Amino acid sequence: MTMRRTLLFLAVLLLGWQLRGQEEITIRIKEGMPTIPVALPDFQTGGAAAQRNEVAGILHETLWKDLEFSRIFKMVPREHYSYISRLDPNAIRFKDWASIQANILISGQLELTADDRLVFSFKVYEVASERFIFGRNFGGKKDLARLIAHRAADEMLKHFGERPLFTSKIVYVSESGNDRDIYIMDYDGQRPTRITFSSAMDLLPSWSADNEKILYTSYRNLSPELFMFNIYSGKTELLSSGGSNYAADWSPVGDRIVYTSSKHGNADIFLKDMKTGQEKRLTFNPAIDTSPCWSPNGREIAFTSQRGGTPQIYIMDAEGSNVRRITLEGSYHDSPAWSPDGMRLAFVSRIENRFDIYVYNLKSNEISKLTENAGRNENPSWSPDGRHLVFSSNRSGRYQLYLVDYDGRNVRQLTSSGENKMPKWQKSLK
Amino acid sequence: MKKWMLIVVALSIVLMFSACGKKAAKVEPVQEPVVEKVDEPVAQVEKPVLSEEELFQQKSLEELNKDQILKRINFDFDMYAIREDMKPIVQANANWLLKFPSVEVLIEGHCDEKGTIEYNIALGEKRAEAAKNYLVSLGLNAAKVKIISYGKSKPLVQGVDEASYFQNRRAEFIITKK
Repeated sequence: MTMRRTLLFLAVLLLGWQLRGQEEITIRIKEGMPTIPVALPDFQTGGAAAQRNEVAGILHETLWKDLEFSRIFKMVPREHYSYISRLDPNAIRFKDWASIQANILISGQLELTADDRLVFSFKVYEVASERFIFGRNFGGKKDLARLIAHRAADEMLKHFGERPLFTSKIVYVSESGNDRDIYIMDYDGQRPTRITFSSAMDLLPSWSADNEKILYTSYRNLSPELFMFNIYSGKTELLSSGGSNYAADWSPVGDRIVYTSSKHGNADIFLKDMKTGQEKRLTFNPAIDTSPCWSPNGREIAFTSQRGGTPQIYIMDAEGSNVRRITLEGSYHDSPAWSPDGMRLAFVSRIENRFDIYVYNLKSNEISKLTENAGRNENPSWSPDGRHLVFSSNRSGRYQLYLVDYDGRNVRQLTSSGENKMPKWQKSLK
Repeated sequence: MKKWMLIVVALSIVLMFSACGKKAAKVEPVQEPVVEKVDEPVAQVEKPVLSEEELFQQKSLEELNKDQILKRINFDFDMYAIREDMKPIVQANANWLLKFPSVEVLIEGHCDEKGTIEYNIALGEKRAEAAKNYLVSLGLNAAKVKIISYGKSKPLVQGVDEASYFQNRRAEFIITKK
């Protein structure tokens, strides 16, 4: 097993060196499935009011991009719609849609009300069987058009047996000037909202299991302390005392967090029960132990330790026992992130002063590289459905946030102003 | 006493007469204007170099830190052990601090951008801790020394060359109380 892993890792390295200078290297994990062709013609608006067209445009574009991003659906190109007659929602000519290779047809309708609200209705049809599958009506404020489109896209995922994704948020640190504060945005980089306003640095945010709280580290009391912010109540609570406290991760099971603290003089990992406030020290080591990350079943914790001389990724049981080393090659690994299916660990490796993101398959022991020859790539975090990751990279100069699929495809830049780092994708949506 | 006085008076008289005799021999002397010289002794005191103690009293915390009374030290890549060539700097810092026992100091640990964010916070703390331990081993009161790590979030210089990275891998000694 070890031999095989070594060879694979070497192969990845060699490939990396050979292809240096080329644009992108992708090593594909064979787990793709055929995507479902979807036709999404323009929505009916029952009139031509400019405003209505604008909102319809936002809805359509957002829904289109979501479905395209999913890796479940494939969009039938718009140009093909002009070969057939325009969609009449009351008399759909399914043969036409079949002729342009659509398996699924979405027919949408938008109404704007006088009080600046919108109602978006959509119906989903299976083209081959000429059958109505499902439909939904969403109403809300006009400026929530993007959210409503994301809701519709999530309904599509759910209906096809997938976990919702598009209404998920990403928390991150944005820096302009000397100020570093925490922001939340939609998964596609839209609608950024600032949530901390401290003049000191705020760093390393992460989500609670219920996605309602954000844990982060702030230097506002001079030393780096851990804070918890409730996004609904707006209240902030101090969680730690003494030493440096950072890199918190909330267990998916039970109200427990793990975090790094130097309260006993050295960076070690601590477990805190959020109900009782009781703490347990999990690592007892003069070396640096940091970056703890829960497995999705809450039974194990991946972390970084320098106990072997250089920072490497380890896994331990949630009680701190049964420690085993995961990364065997290379001299610098950090930022482990466990995929929602529990099968894979993403992490950052430094090779010759580059940072790249790798994915290690815990079952097959295979390692794949997600980023190549594109600046420093840091802080990977999985999407709730485990098909995508968000990370930060300085490939375009300053650090910005990017998305990439689990197999290295579909790299997409999310942010472009200031400097943006340390992203964490929300955990599974209900 | 009286004898001395008499001799002095007698001598004066003799001198007076001799002078008068010469003066009488001259013809129409040129009357030069008498210029009275007015002078004041210039103090030959140079501005003294202030003693360390005086400087300490005179300067504010900001000025002391700005002047880098306490010098920063640099570290090797990925390491937190105090380099041999940095030890004299810490020793000099310790000597100064021992002279002013009221001073409290905050040691900031910093890293270059070649490490990850989370790991660098721990590494920066290790660097600050190493500097603190060295100060304490030289006799400093541990209670007067606090540490903090900024990881790689506060680089000193922005370059992407090894010289810049070396400058950024540092511990800074900040005076927080006089």
